[in-house]
Amino acid sequence: MLFTLAWRNIWRNKKRSLIIISAIAVGLCCGLFASATMFGMWDSIINTTIDRDLGHFQVHSKNYEDEKLVTDTIPDFENVITAIKKSKDVIGVSSRIILEGMASSASTSNGVRIAGINPDDEKNVTSIFKQVVKGSYFDESWKNQIVIGEKLADNLGLREKSKIVLSFQGIDGSIIYGAFRVVGIFKTESSIFDKSNVFVKENDLLNLINSKIFSNEIVARLNSVQQVDSVYLPIKKEFKNLSVKDWAALAPELKVFYEILITEMNVFVGIILFALLFGITNTMLMSVLERVREFGMLMAVGMKRSRVFVMIILETISLSFIGGIMGVLLALGIIEYFGNSGINLSAFTEGLSMFSMSPVLYPSLPLSFYPPIALMIFITAILGAFYPAVKAIKLKPATAIRTY
Amino acid sequence: MALIELNDVSKIYDGSAVPVKAVDEVTLKIEKGEFTAIVGPSGSGKTTLLNLIGGLDQPTNGKIIIDGTDISTFKPDELINFRLHHIGFVFQAYNLIPVFTAKENVEFIMLLQNIPKSEREKKAIDFLEAVGLKDRINSKPSELSGGQQQRVAVARALASTPSFVLADEPTANLDSVSAESLLDLMEGLNSKHNMTFVFSTHDQRVINRAHRIVTLEDGKIKSDVLNPTYQKNEA
Repeated sequence: MLFTLAWRNIWRNKKRSLIIISAIAVGLCCGLFASATMFGMWDSIINTTIDRDLGHFQVHSKNYEDEKLVTDTIPDFENVITAIKKSKDVIGVSSRIILEGMASSASTSNGVRIAGINPDDEKNVTSIFKQVVKGSYFDESWKNQIVIGEKLADNLGLREKSKIVLSFQGIDGSIIYGAFRVVGIFKTESSIFDKSNVFVKENDLLNLINSKIFSNEIVARLNSVQQVDSVYLPIKKEFKNLSVKDWAALAPELKVFYEILITEMNVFVGIILFALLFGITNTMLMSVLERVREFGMLMAVGMKRSRVFVMIILETISLSFIGGIMGVLLALGIIEYFGNSGINLSAFTEGLSMFSMSPVLYPSLPLSFYPPIALMIFITAILGAFYPAVKAIKLKPATAIRTY
Repeated sequence: MALIELNDVSKIYDGSAVPVKAVDEVTLKIEKGEFTAIVGPSGSGKTTLLNLIGGLDQPTNGKIIIDGTDISTFKPDELINFRLHHIGFVFQAYNLIPVFTAKENVEFIMLLQNIPKSEREKKAIDFLEAVGLKDRINSKPSELSGGQQQRVAVARALASTPSFVLADEPTANLDSVSAESLLDLMEGLNSKHNMTFVFSTHDQRVINRAHRIVTLEDGKIKSDVLNPTYQKNEA
C-alpha cells in the first residue's frame, strides 16, 4: 500500500513527472550511446590492429624481442605451429621471416619492415589481402613479387609493376640487395603501417639469403578475441623457451588507450549522473514542498517518519526506474541501429588513420555494462531524494497540518 | 482515572523577542464518553491546547496523562506511535490522502497499525458504512462533497480504534446541512459506542450540541460548564 501511495503520488503532477522521467531517459540514453561509441572506437582500433598485422597472439624466440635480428629464429617452429593448430578455436596460423631493411626506388629510400610470408597462410591470419587497392595480392606470374603500402608507394613514387630494391642484413651479417616488382598496393586504416611495411613471398626471401626455411614470428588468428586466453596460455605453458604474447602484450599502447577511453567514459557518465542528481533533488523538493500539509497529516495520524522517508525514496526510485527503463530501451534501439548501419566518419579519415581507426564506426556496448549503469541511476535517485525526504520528516505535524 | 488529564500544563513559545504563553497552567480532566467542546476567541489557545492533548506538541511545563500514560516527556517517535494507537484526528480541512479512495484512506491507518490486509479491508468498509458512505467507498476525495470527505475523516479516525477523537474545527468548512449531519453522526457514535469526542470550535452549531463546554481566554480556562441546552434536551 505504501508503494501504491508512492506510485500514485508521482502521477499527481503528470507534467513534472514526465519531464524528470524524460530527463533521466535522455541523459541515460546519451550516456549509454556515448559509451557505446567509445567501445565501438576501441573495438575498431583493436580489430583493425589484430586484422591488419598483429593476429590474436604471436610467438617469437626470447632473444628476438631484444634486437629483432633475423638470426633470432624460433627453434622447431613447425612443432609450435602444429601445437597451435590443435585448438579448434584457431582459424589460421602464419609463419613469418622478419627483416628490418631499406626499400629504395630510383629516386628515394625508406626504412621498412620486410615480412617474408606464405600468402595462403597469411590470408587466414591478416586482412592485408582484402585491402589491396591496386594490383593483386601475389600471384604466380613472376618471381620476387612485393606488396607495399600506399603511403610508401607515394613516398617512393612507385606504381603497380614498379621496381623496388630491398636491402637488408643477411644471416651471415652481409648486406643483401634484392630487386622486387610491385604486384599490389594496399591501404589500411593506419598510414604509419602503410608507410613502413612490405610483404614478400617467404621462398623469394629464402633464395636471396640462401637459407633453408626458418621462422622469426608465428602469428595465430582465433575465432574471437574472447578465446585468446584459453588458446595462448596453454601454448605459453608448453613452450616455455619461447616468447608467447597476446595482442594486449604485443601492443601495450592499446591498453593505455583503452584505459583512457574508460576514464573518459566514466567522467562523461559521472557528469550526466551529477546533472540528474540535481534534477531529481529539485523535482522531489518541489513535490515535498507542495505536500507539507499532507506530510503533517500523515505524521499526525501516526505514520512513522521512517515510513514517510521510505515513501519519498520509493517515489524517486519509481521515477528513476521508469526513466531508466526508457533510457536503456532507447539506447539499445539507437545502438542497435548505428551498430548495424555504422556512423560514417569518412570526413575525418586522415585523422582517424593516425589511430588505426576504421572510417565507419560501429557503436557497441557489452551487456555487462548495463547493470552498473542501472545501479548508478538507482544510487543517484536515492541521493537525489535524500535532502527532500529529510526536509519532509523534519516537519512538525502541528504546524505542517495548518500550512495552506 | 480520567481518560485525559492535564495538570498545570503551560506552553510558552519563546521564538520571538517576547515569549508568548499560549496555554497558561491549565488543569483539565475529560472522562471517557464525554462530548466536549473547547471554545474561545481566536488566540485564546484552543488549537495549542488541542495539539497538546493530541500529542502533536509538547508542553513547556506540567503533565499530560492520556489513558494512564504520561506523554509529556515522550520523544517525537514515541508520540507518533502513541497517536497511532490512542488518538483519532478529524481536521478542519479534512486532510484526506487525495490519491486514495475513501476505503483506502480508512484502510491506510490500519496499515500503519500492521493489521492484515483482509481484516483492514473488511473493517474499512464497515467504518464507511457506519458513517453512511458505503456506496462511495471507491470514490476519491475530489469526487466527494465537503461533508462526505469529513465523514471519511471520521471513519479514518475511528479506524484506529482510538481512546478518543480530537476534532479541530470539524464543521468550519461545511454548510449547515452537512455540519448538522456530521454532528448527528458524531453524537450518535458518542451515545451508541461511548466514543469520547473533544472539539476545538467557535461554531455555534457545535457548541450547541456539546455536552460540556470549556472556554479558554488568554491561554487560561475561563469557564468549564455542562451545556445547559444539552441538559435541557436530556431532561
